[in-house]
Amino acid sequence: MLSTTLAGLRAHLPRLVASCLAVVLAVAFVVATLVLNETTRTTVLTAAGAQYVGADAVVTSDDGSSLLDELAVLTALDGVRAVAPEWQTSVQAVAPGRTGAQYLVVGAVADDPALRWQRLADGALPDRPGEVAVSERVGADVGDVLRVTATAADGTETSTAVTVTGVVDLGGDPEAGLYGRAWATPAQAQAWGAVDPTELRIAGRPGTDPQVLADAVATALPGSGLTVRTGTAQAEHRAGSMLGNATALAAVLLVFGTVAVLVAGLVIANTFAVLLAQRTRELALLRCVGATARQVRRGVLVEAALTGLAASVVGVAAGIGLAGAVSALAGGVESPVPLSGLSVPLTAVLAGLAVGTLTTLLAAAAPARAATRVAPLAAMRPLDPAPLRSRPGVVRLVLGLLLLLPGAALLAVGVAVASVFVALPGGVASFLGVVLLAQRALPPVVRAAGGLVARLGGVPARLAAGNATRNPRRTAATATALLIGVTLTTAMVVGTASTRATATAGLAAQYPADVVVEGLSGELPPSLLGRLGDLGGVATGTALTVAQPTGPDGQPWTVYGIDPATAVPTLRSTAETPLPQPGQALLPRWLADSWSVADGDPVPLTLDGRALSLRAGIVDDDAPLLLTTGDLAALAPGAAVGQLWLRLDDSDADVQAAVVDTVTDTVGSVVPDAQVTGVVSLRQQMDEVLDVLLLVVTGLLGVAVVIALIGVGNTLALSVVERRQENGLLRAVGLTRGQLRGLLAWEAVVVSGVAAVLGVVLGGVYGVTGTASVLGMAGEVVVDVPWLQVAAIVVVATVAGLLASVLPARRAARIPPVAALAAG
Amino acid sequence: MSVPVMTVPGEPPAPVSSAAVRATGLTKVYGSGDTAVLALDGVDVDFARGGFTAIMGPSGSGKSTLMHCLAGLDTATSGQVFLGGTELTRLRDDELTRLRRERVGFVFQAFNLLPVLDARENVVLPMQLAGRRPDPAWFDAVIARLGLRERLRHRPAELSGGQQQRVAIARALLPRPDVVFADEPTGNLDSRAGAEVLDLLRSSVRETGQTVVMVTHDPTAASYADRVVLLADGRLAGEVERPTAASVLDALRGLGG
Repeated sequence: MLSTTLAGLRAHLPRLVASCLAVVLAVAFVVATLVLNETTRTTVLTAAGAQYVGADAVVTSDDGSSLLDELAVLTALDGVRAVAPEWQTSVQAVAPGRTGAQYLVVGAVADDPALRWQRLADGALPDRPGEVAVSERVGADVGDVLRVTATAADGTETSTAVTVTGVVDLGGDPEAGLYGRAWATPAQAQAWGAVDPTELRIAGRPGTDPQVLADAVATALPGSGLTVRTGTAQAEHRAGSMLGNATALAAVLLVFGTVAVLVAGLVIANTFAVLLAQRTRELALLRCVGATARQVRRGVLVEAALTGLAASVVGVAAGIGLAGAVSALAGGVESPVPLSGLSVPLTAVLAGLAVGTLTTLLAAAAPARAATRVAPLAAMRPLDPAPLRSRPGVVRLVLGLLLLLPGAALLAVGVAVASVFVALPGGVASFLGVVLLAQRALPPVVRAAGGLVARLGGVPARLAAGNATRNPRRTAATATALLIGVTLTTAMVVGTASTRATATAGLAAQYPADVVVEGLSGELPPSLLGRLGDLGGVATGTALTVAQPTGPDGQPWTVYGIDPATAVPTLRSTAETPLPQPGQALLPRWLADSWSVADGDPVPLTLDGRALSLRAGIVDDDAPLLLTTGDLAALAPGAAVGQLWLRLDDSDADVQAAVVDTVTDTVGSVVPDAQVTGVVSLRQQMDEVLDVLLLVVTGLLGVAVVIALIGVGNTLALSVVERRQENGLLRAVGLTRGQLRGLLAWEAVVVSGVAAVLGVVLGGVYGVTGTASVLGMAGEVVVDVPWLQVAAIVVVATVAGLLASVLPARRAARIPPVAALAAG
Repeated sequence: MSVPVMTVPGEPPAPVSSAAVRATGLTKVYGSGDTAVLALDGVDVDFARGGFTAIMGPSGSGKSTLMHCLAGLDTATSGQVFLGGTELTRLRDDELTRLRRERVGFVFQAFNLLPVLDARENVVLPMQLAGRRPDPAWFDAVIARLGLRERLRHRPAELSGGQQQRVAIARALLPRPDVVFADEPTGNLDSRAGAEVLDLLRSSVRETGQTVVMVTHDPTAASYADRVVLLADGRLAGEVERPTAASVLDALRGLGG
């Protein structure tokens, strides 16, 4: 029987190519998803936690106290090769050609190569005092000389001229655009005031397991007030604090992977069912010449296993290649998260092989069982145009409802409690339910759509409408495959758009002002706001006054005064920046607790004999003590301007960055030591990260569409085989070749159009609920449905179905009209 | 027993005016090289307007190929086919298709109807494809003659074999084609339904002057025709005028078939 199977494989090679292609694409889809997931994860980790991924263990101080003592302990610890303390300080620096000083955060370059994480865009890392490497944000080139002013703890300033030896590419670090960074030798960093390291990065001896090392370090440092993590854990920790929630990111990717496997399985199953149905007569002939039912079934399964395995191998290679292509593509568009390199986890390769082979086998099981039921006499009969009797759909219906209803409920709960771990199983279960029920629900919808089309498109359309529901089970299977692809795509597009909207809103809430100007000495000239407001690209601004009145505890406190009238149009969001009412003092909770003040209680403030009692408004911990300018002026009539908040005109990030530079120069020429912070680049980078994500999804969408295309094409090809006589008859009685092609095109459009529209609706629901459950933990979720893209998905899916009809239609058009006359 | 009137192959064809369909030097070769099969070998034949002609011959004689070429369903390797004044052998596929739906009617042995359409839709299909409306009076007349009035809303699966064949005849007659080709129209029917179908074909010739050309291997079916054309090995092998089952059988025996 094996020889028959192999001979069959050889004989049906052309037909198997189509089936293999579906398996290859599906496996490639899975593998590419897994590889890209891993690559994205690695890249995000690398970008956000660059300095930690190379370290085996990291010790951080919880309260900012010095870790100098621990440094000595760790250097002596067994298994430790090198320890790099984070010598961090800040300086003011003036770059050539710029008048304003900029705030630079200085770090040290590790002595040990393994702990040197800085990726150089140009030049080299410094190796002696007087040299620095800088981030791209600084705007200096290799060879430039920076004038650096460091302020010691006692207030004395020292000025040094240092040479730039290298420019460091910070990749997708979300904070890269906030301020400039510089790296010097440990000695130079210490000379600038970095004396108390709060973080130690540790490299173990070769072959050391990071977790073992981290445990050893934790044991060696029994004291409290510090945290020991492995380098990867620390990177994840920082990526988590950067991106909101590292587990949320993993959850998004998990959802994507799960759905991808699901899609792949169903598409392979469908394709194989169609291919076996095409061979009913051949299998019947085998039975005629004496093959037992078991032999036929085994033959089919062996064929499926061989096909599945061969196609899976190709698919794995194709998937890795695809991921590489997407990665290269993402790299080509200067994405801030360069999907540089490719992380191919072994699990992805194994999962690809397993998914491809097992799914093909499982998919073949049902048709193989059906094949054993083929009566040997079927070989003698002409192809039976009657559809295979669908087994009682009651089991399917009950199972579908059992999955859908609790699944949907679980999904709703997941959204309500903002837990992706509740929503994910709910989503998967409900979607499986939808897929099962689709078999039952789709044919009536297709019939209705066919009725609509029949009224519009003439005789071929009317015939197509009838044909589309001739074999409801097969039509449902075809439409389901496309439905899944479209649902997945729409869910991702809607999910990405909503994530973007949510992230943008979150960013606006976290950094409500585009540019913040702050005088280090605490005072800015009152005229500065006017000068900055006149600059091109600056939309509006508000000045915050500052004074140091005495609080109820008898201590002086820095209090800001804000003018809500000018602040509201300046701020992009007041969600996390509450503004005070006249007569109200907004104070952080910790301060309210230390003053024993409750919300609404009077807060007495005094300054130079003037006293003012305000109502307390308690806000989040990070906020400063805030009054209205009017109230602060009553307390401190001559209060100086302490901060300026600016809003820039909406435009490209490049333009806005240039405006920030102009603002920096203008401020620097008036107040040399003032600090200018712009969050424009931060917002832009978040956008670009999401663009890359969307690009990856679009790459996968391409694959999904191609798979669906094969599915639709396969089904139509089968129809052409089955309706050979019928199409011949139509040609004989006067259907032109063009009309026959039109007939198949209409059939494809009806089926794929229905699948596309329903898929978009479903995908929208899953996209919104998915985003809500994933991002709900991080705060308010903003739902955004990109209608244009959603419409494009419908068009693409329908056109894909139309394209899929081209090849079968050509085959059908070649059928000579004589075919109708050939009996049987 | 009547003596069959034999015509010598190669006799000049009848004048154009009286022939509904005419073939001259019609040759059809399937395949090429060593595997080439000569299905038709220089056939000259014509079918009179308003006549009911049967084409007969042993299996492999080329009778089906002849009909396919005459009806514009298949292309000839050489020679000419005229439908009235139109030379089919010069037409492209789309022109042939249009000609078929406007000027030719078909009744096949099996699988005559589209399963997704009801009887009425099947009957008017060729006219709809041509974008024409059937003349209501003529439609009623045809349906009445074929006894289909009660069956118009039925799908083919709900009709008996004889009823399906009557629907096919109605479809063939409705556009008033130049000629109706019937390919073994009784092949799948019991003898009573078969006789009914042949009666209907003959009465359409008698009463409306419809030209009918029928391929059959059944001498009884052939006896309904006015004339039988005999084919053997791709060549014209004789004719029987005013055939009876017996005379047709004799003529076939004469072919050695």
